[in-house]
Amino acid sequence: MRIRRPEPHTLAGAYALDALTGTDRAHFEQHLARCEQCSREISGLWEATARLAAAAAIEPPPGLTVRALAAAEQTRQLSPLTRQTPARWPARHAAMTGRAGAAGARAAVPLRRPWMPRLALAAAAACLVAAAIAGVAAHTAAHQLGEQQLRGHAIAAVLAAPDATMLTARITTGGTAAIVMSHRDRSLVFTAAGLRPLRSSQCYELWLMGPAGDKPAGMLPGPRHGMTGPVIASGLQPGDHLGLTIEPAGGSPHPTSAMIMVLAL
Amino acid sequence: MRTGGSHLSPYGGAGAGEAPGADLAALLGEVARGDRDAFEAVCHHIAAPVFGTVRRVVRDRCQSEEVAQEVLLEVWRAASRFDADRGSAMAWVMVIAHRRAVDRVRSEQKSAARELRAASHAVAYDEVAEKAEANLDHERVRRCLGSLTELQREAVTLAYYGGYTYRQVAALLGVASGTVSTRMRDGLIRLRDCLGVKR
Repeated sequence: MRIRRPEPHTLAGAYALDALTGTDRAHFEQHLARCEQCSREISGLWEATARLAAAAAIEPPPGLTVRALAAAEQTRQLSPLTRQTPARWPARHAAMTGRAGAAGARAAVPLRRPWMPRLALAAAAACLVAAAIAGVAAHTAAHQLGEQQLRGHAIAAVLAAPDATMLTARITTGGTAAIVMSHRDRSLVFTAAGLRPLRSSQCYELWLMGPAGDKPAGMLPGPRHGMTGPVIASGLQPGDHLGLTIEPAGGSPHPTSAMIMVLAL
Repeated sequence: MRTGGSHLSPYGGAGAGEAPGADLAALLGEVARGDRDAFEAVCHHIAAPVFGTVRRVVRDRCQSEEVAQEVLLEVWRAASRFDADRGSAMAWVMVIAHRRAVDRVRSEQKSAARELRAASHAVAYDEVAEKAEANLDHERVRRCLGSLTELQREAVTLAYYGGYTYRQVAALLGVASGTVSTRMRDGLIRLRDCLGVKR
């Protein structure tokens, strides 16, 4: 299809609204890199779009900031730009959002979100769980309950429990865990992101550790898209700790290696 | 925890007497130096507009939470790249947020045509009126959007809140794409002037 391309300058509004894609955007960014006036105009238009954003403000989910703080703990910050480059805002944003913009390619290392799998963790966990609920609802309507659905039900019950609490923890060998637990249901749902891949002779195993000793609480399945779980563990007692170890494939009745995560429940 | 301004009114609607814009820029400077308390304060300022905007574009609540968290984290990560000489801190944050939101929508939306058919172009503007929390920013923006021509307003809101490209907006409105891009620019300029934003 032959697409007629408008005069670059008239695209300033569309650019500020993120309404340009592909070659339209590349073309405009090339223009922007040479046009100081356009750059100033875009900055002004962004002040206006920021007001559109402010007008859309809604109460954020309660865990959002907590999860961002937890994720920030493990995220190295970008160093400031020290070279005197003619980089403008769009260029830096381009670098920031993973786009190699006109000047952005020069100004900063293009980052294709290498950090994402590790860090979207808790939100991703919450989402996995939400997806599990949605899946359960969809399946129960149409199908007989299989094992998968029963598991989904148990997960949904924990998440919907009035006392459901979310915790996150770092795993010393790499990765982060997000746990939703309900003491009422004596259960917890475990998810993790960015776990170090294991040899086929090994597996991750969860433990519920209390005064009565360590009970195996389930083995983790292999990751999908960097995410592990959700896995449900039951039989939770007040005062228990949740542990994670690396065990021989097939699991162990008792932990045989050092804990790589311990979390008070 | 350090905070300033109202949770839901980043431009100081409820927090009269404070200057959250300036605070936010200063806080970002501290965040760039790795100050976690400052980051918490920044999150407190920006979480509501970030989440609201992402939610408006992405729609799905679960995905919106994920994208909003990515945005907050990006603010932490890239704080050193914020330059107060080039615009306000809130604008810097919201550019990141909006781009992340539209990136998410566009990467998921393999079939743009299906989306377009499903869309009703009245939705974007009505939602501004109905769903956003009542706050002063909201009132001002609503008033100023009302001062645009219908085509300007639809072009701007469909792109910003709907996450559509200008070519998609042109298809939705049955108008030439060149006309739409012009109206987006005129509309934003008028909005900027009506809102009295600096620059």
